[in-house]
Amino acid sequence: MTSPASSTSWDPIIKIEGLHFHYNPQSEHPIHAITGIDLEIYPGDYLVIVGHNGSGKSTLAKNINVLLKPTEGNVWVKGLNTRDSANTLAIRSAVGMVFQIPDNQIVATIVEQDVAFGPENLGVPRSELHERVEWALGVVDMLEHRHRPPHRLSAGQKQRVAIAGVMAMKPEILVLDEATSMLDPEGREDVLAAVRQLNEEGVTVIAITHFMHEAAEGNRVIVMEAGKVVMEGTPREVFSHVEELRALQLDVPQTTEMAYRLNQRDPTFPPDLLLVDEVADEIQRRTNGSGGA
Amino acid sequence: MSEQPFIQINDLHHNYLRDTPLEVTALRGVTMEIYKGESVGIIGRTGAGKSTVVQHFNGLIRPVQPGKVVVDGQDMSDPKVDVRRVRQKIGLVFQYPEQQLFERLVGDDIAFGPKKLGMEQADRRERVKWAMEMVGLDFDAFKDRFTFSLSGGEMRKAALAGVLALRPEMLILDESTSGVDPRSRSELLERLLTLHNEHGLTLAFVSPNMEDMAGLVDRIYVMDEGRVVMSGTTREIFSQPDKLRAHGLGVPQVTEVAHGLIARGVRVRRIPVTVEEGVEEAWKILNS
Repeated sequence: MTSPASSTSWDPIIKIEGLHFHYNPQSEHPIHAITGIDLEIYPGDYLVIVGHNGSGKSTLAKNINVLLKPTEGNVWVKGLNTRDSANTLAIRSAVGMVFQIPDNQIVATIVEQDVAFGPENLGVPRSELHERVEWALGVVDMLEHRHRPPHRLSAGQKQRVAIAGVMAMKPEILVLDEATSMLDPEGREDVLAAVRQLNEEGVTVIAITHFMHEAAEGNRVIVMEAGKVVMEGTPREVFSHVEELRALQLDVPQTTEMAYRLNQRDPTFPPDLLLVDEVADEIQRRTNGSGGA
Repeated sequence: MSEQPFIQINDLHHNYLRDTPLEVTALRGVTMEIYKGESVGIIGRTGAGKSTVVQHFNGLIRPVQPGKVVVDGQDMSDPKVDVRRVRQKIGLVFQYPEQQLFERLVGDDIAFGPKKLGMEQADRRERVKWAMEMVGLDFDAFKDRFTFSLSGGEMRKAALAGVLALRPEMLILDESTSGVDPRSRSELLERLLTLHNEHGLTLAFVSPNMEDMAGLVDRIYVMDEGRVVMSGTTREIFSQPDKLRAHGLGVPQVTEVAHGLIARGVRVRRIPVTVEEGVEEAWKILNS
């Protein structure tokens, strides 16, 4: 539908060509998780991936930081092919990944040690290490818990620690695999604000989410179905296809759904509103004309 | 509703790691009641104490600290309570389904509970089939799949099926549908509501998201810092967005639109909590 608005003149930071991925390819019942994807992601992009469970979103993400290697096709990160094992370390230090379940990602017994673990292993000097840990914990609003054991934190707090741990490594690309699904609205807003800030500083963001209003954060949205990319565009473009999305077992943000249904009743009502204020403004504008109640 | 609550919790306190330097206070005096056949929401930001409370419902945590927990007429502080019987009546599905799956094959995992109850093979198969249908996992496609090969959302469905297979009288979902895609989620909840409406299944939903509660629960307890800070009908709670925000919670976008209209001086008669209600209210406003 569209090319990324920001940075078309740049080379893609991630290039995916003819990607297929099968789990258990040798077995009787291989699972074809990715069935042909071509995708280019540009530096500074904020790409949101949506799709129902089992559509291949996480498998795609894992192919980006070499947790999985293509069954067919190629993935290049900063020009490095993920198939070549010599590239693995360089790719992983460029791509920070945050998973859905923070427990699997937390290694140390004290919060600040956990956050320091990644950068320490990258050889970040002690003075800077301290600075980075403090910055990362500040971004996710967990500074006051820095001396607590992570396993005693709530799920949302743990996820913020996991995200801080990845951020402290200052990756060029941040992949969030449903990283906010365990957070409360406040925690989610904190994390989204942090991610937004990182993106503004130039970090390329790839976010997998089920929260449709979160998808509005991105400059690009792709919709996956049966291991393929079936829709692509800006959030407004993608979400204006309410019926198609519904056929793909997806929802649209409540605001868009509301505007869409009002448009069905009154074709002059714009169907592609995305923000709460847009809907409220539109309704107010229309009631002013007729005198209101 | 029967006269005696199914779950009755009175001034309950709970500290984790009691008498250690790492002691953390989780509950500071919680009182709540859930009657048979009700659908109740327990909502609060992370760390509010929601999970700690519901783990008292089925005896996963026993009340050894101040407070009283009575479940189905039994005082849970009594060491002679038959906890197995309580857990059969009250099913709890956790946040992390992989912690609740332990068999190699999906079908075996869901059959585990009924097997422990001594059900015959043939009945068990029917029961597993029923439970899988309820959560929207195709019996033939999934029964012989490896549990570890499931996607996150599928694992959650399998874990829920394993609990449903025991045919509990009450089901507690502790953020069990986070990570399930929106469509599967609403299908799943619709099936649970059918069980609730037609068979009187008592439901308790734990979530930090107000969206999850709309159209699903009759009453809501809002928790923060180990206390119940708000309680009332779903609509009563939704009509106080500022108070909810102060407790770290939001309201659904449709509700926000309504409050946005009020702030703009537009008269809103009824605060909508679902998209359907939002469309109806907006339509009324546009045509008044």
